[in-house]
Amino acid sequence: MKTILKVSKYFLIVLICAICLIPFYILIILSLNTPQRIFYEGNMFVPDFFLRNYVDAWNKSHIGTAIINSAVITIVALVIILVFGAMAAYTIARFNYKFNQLVFWLFMSCMMIPGIINTVPLYTLMIKLNAINTLWGMGLVCATIAMPSAVFIFTGFVKSLPREIEEAAIIDGCSWFTAFWKITFPLLKPSVAAVIILNGFGIWNNYAQAVFFLQDSKKHNIPQALSVYFQQFAGAHWNLMAATAVIAVIPVIIAFLMFQKNLMKGLTDGALKG
Amino acid sequence: MKRLVAMLLSVILVAGICTGCGNSTNASTAAASNASEVSSKAEGHVNIKLFTGKIETIDLMNEIINDFNASQDRITVEQEYQKDASNIIKIKFASGQVPDIMTTYEQGFVDQGKYLDLSDQTAWWDRLSPEMKVDCTDVKSGKQYRVCTNMTMAGFFYNKAIFSELGLKTATTWDEFEKNLQTIKDKKPSVTPWFIFGKEAWHLGHLIEFIPHGYIKQQLGSIEAKKAMLDNDKAKLNFGAADGAMATFAKNLIELKTKGLINADVLTATSDNCVQEFVTGKAAMLSNGMWVLSSLTDADPKIADTIGFAPYPSYMPNSKPVVLSAEDSGYSISATTEHKAEAIEFLNYLFKAENQKKYSEASKAPSAFKDVQAKWASTNVVSEVNTALKDAVNIGFTNEKPAGFSGDDAGRLVQDLLSGKYTPETFATAYEKAWNDGMK
Amino acid sequence: MDAPASFLKGVLGMIKTKKIGLHTFMAVPAFLLFALFFIYPLIQGIGMSLTDWDGLGRSNFIGLQNFFDFFKDERAITDIKNTLLFALGSAPLLNIIGLIYALLMNGKFKGKGIARVIIYLPAVISPLIMGYIWYLLLQPERGFVFHALELIGKSSWLGNWLGDYTACMVVLVLVNVWQYAGMTMVIYLAGLQSIPEELYESAKIDGASYWSSFRYVTLPMLMPSIRINVVTNIIGSLAVFDIVMALTDGGPGYSTETLSIYIMRMCYGSKTGYSTAVALIMFFIILIPVIISMRLTREKE
Repeated sequence: MKTILKVSKYFLIVLICAICLIPFYILIILSLNTPQRIFYEGNMFVPDFFLRNYVDAWNKSHIGTAIINSAVITIVALVIILVFGAMAAYTIARFNYKFNQLVFWLFMSCMMIPGIINTVPLYTLMIKLNAINTLWGMGLVCATIAMPSAVFIFTGFVKSLPREIEEAAIIDGCSWFTAFWKITFPLLKPSVAAVIILNGFGIWNNYAQAVFFLQDSKKHNIPQALSVYFQQFAGAHWNLMAATAVIAVIPVIIAFLMFQKNLMKGLTDGALKG
Repeated sequence: MKRLVAMLLSVILVAGICTGCGNSTNASTAAASNASEVSSKAEGHVNIKLFTGKIETIDLMNEIINDFNASQDRITVEQEYQKDASNIIKIKFASGQVPDIMTTYEQGFVDQGKYLDLSDQTAWWDRLSPEMKVDCTDVKSGKQYRVCTNMTMAGFFYNKAIFSELGLKTATTWDEFEKNLQTIKDKKPSVTPWFIFGKEAWHLGHLIEFIPHGYIKQQLGSIEAKKAMLDNDKAKLNFGAADGAMATFAKNLIELKTKGLINADVLTATSDNCVQEFVTGKAAMLSNGMWVLSSLTDADPKIADTIGFAPYPSYMPNSKPVVLSAEDSGYSISATTEHKAEAIEFLNYLFKAENQKKYSEASKAPSAFKDVQAKWASTNVVSEVNTALKDAVNIGFTNEKPAGFSGDDAGRLVQDLLSGKYTPETFATAYEKAWNDGMK
Repeated sequence: MDAPASFLKGVLGMIKTKKIGLHTFMAVPAFLLFALFFIYPLIQGIGMSLTDWDGLGRSNFIGLQNFFDFFKDERAITDIKNTLLFALGSAPLLNIIGLIYALLMNGKFKGKGIARVIIYLPAVISPLIMGYIWYLLLQPERGFVFHALELIGKSSWLGNWLGDYTACMVVLVLVNVWQYAGMTMVIYLAGLQSIPEELYESAKIDGASYWSSFRYVTLPMLMPSIRINVVTNIIGSLAVFDIVMALTDGGPGYSTETLSIYIMRMCYGSKTGYSTAVALIMFFIILIPVIISMRLTREKE
């Protein structure tokens, strides 16, 4: 009985993984077709293996610069979110100051407000701050957008950790502030991983804000680099675009796989409470 | 405490590095993004921005811009291209951050005085065809607020081999057109007579601009039609009439659908499907503009020598076939730019005959400059287009649509029509209502 | 002279007893960032909702007229219906599937790391392209799925889902779940990882079956994660934009248009002031289910 369960569990996992890989499979097929390929009529499943797309894509889209831009923006934004967000969550979860309650409900409410309402005034503000076409400006905007959900997640997790763990350190003479960094923050590893994964990709693939704040083509991030293949009426060059997208995804996958080992270790270590 | 300091330091470090990255790259490309920023401080050096939505010609434009920048050291031009340029420019206008030169042009912006009056640029107008000057004229003020360097055409692309095999001639009336389609369907059941990619609302919106609006434009004449649309002159436009241009167009379209003369999956087909069906001979006709030539030749390089081009047949009583012959690649200068002279100097450079020849060939659109001879398409296509232009009434795009009722919105109404939500009569009234609502 | 001195004394006392300290101000940096880049523009945006601004020039104060106009517009009411139906299907399904994924991925097995990475992967591709890929897959009569089904002779299973409202909504919900279940899974995994082993062990000792230990150990301990996921998924599903744009463009016509798409079209269609008002209405539409679910998942101390 146990073996049947185990086998069906494995089977289910493999099935789910296969389904999740389908978009990549298609992306790779698209990237390997020649521009002349008529694939709606023919065999859609086997590509032409036309590797020149990758060379052309690299040259045409400046994807290398775009990857670096996306990476810098994502790292800047994530650092801000993690540091500011976790700090805010700690004090909100532990201390019932009126200010904290206000901040929490403010974040909650703003999570529910569609971003488009901000566009024009935010754009004007960024101009005044000279933050247009800067990676740090874009990072700050992305951090702001992600802040409410990060605070929300961290608060939930801090609340689920008993107050005693910090109180033990307080008795030994620590301040609440230091206790956070020494004790609570390390225990937040699972939620840190969650926040990074949930917000990281949104920032990496951000198009809606990038379009306004990163105008200079040298500052374009990945989605913008991809948008050079779209024309107004004449469709798009799907084979080149797919090749560019594959190139852009590879560093992410590599970073992920590398990170994954440490992350998973961190998750299990951090979660076990003695 | 140490932890905090370490954390803060690393954040500052990261932020600092990034600022540094941002600034150093900024400095090295002199890419000042604010048109309002006074950059003519040191050495009288000026930075101007060109904002474009024309993705197809980015590389060529960058080439020309780099040549211009290298040829002198007073002005540096920088191109910003955006896929959704017509939306983005609205936000830019709203925030007062306006590029010096832009390719986006809308009646609403003209009315708001956002563009510089270019009527006195005789150096340009003298070199352009007289029709171009008319096309670029704002009907309300009689002045020109943009200059367009190319023309583009739209009509029916058709498969000449199928036509000659079946002994068909291009139709001048809708009845002949339908007969042609029916013959194709009868003799070649596996071929779609007319392939419409209705998933893309802009395509259906174009059909409205070319066919029913085309009738109005030819009946009233181009200038009067523009005025009637701007003033929403109901008597002249008559959109809602049950026997008017709109309702009849809707009736014809539904009839084609019922008789199976257009592809059954009209609402889910994309332009990629259309291109591929056409080059493999599975679709006999498609409606589109010259901009589709590169996709067609990408899919089949030989097609440029065998493709036919025909006008839209007439479908209302006492009317003639129409073909789109409209302005393309237009440039406007911001009315609030601080670098008018420099912008004009750059445009002068861009408009040089050798640059325009390259541009015309890259964008597959004939040049409007009289002194530019460019091979913008294959000989076959050029001759087909010239014949169509001669045989049919030339009409333009409907630039005078209401600000709140775009071509895409009109296309979505047609999607509703094709999915059975409207009868031809209710479609006409719905169209009129949407047009009126969009004017507010 | 006395009042400030005793105030100072009071503050110093509080600092000593650690009632006030650096920790009191830990929420300030996040708040300042947010106030500058979100709240300040937001207030200006709210001002816009009381005008008839067309995004270009004229802007007249018209009070609450935008809000009244919204409820009179048939297209807007359909959009609310579409948005609510979509969220009703998508949010619960995301939670259930995400939880199932997390439970599956929780144990120790070979290739666990890789499997987790693969499940988040659909979210790594830029939505610009993802949309196209989805349509390539699911296009009636021409897409990958159709051709695959043709190979096994079952091409009628796909049918023309775009032509039927219910089928359309079902496809949209399923695609959304497929794409974002990995995100829900991550939160649940994090939550599952923080449940101490001892609780399960003591439950086993007490003779609990898999289902009872799930009900009485896992679920209660998972409450913070459940709360986060429920709220996030409700907000995300009600604000859906990319998936619908990519698959149906809100169509055919406007039949599957959602509120966010409507807001975007109004904003760029010269009804900018009006679109801001609709955004505020949307905020209230989202607020109600969120408050309800926050209440339901409140910590029971």
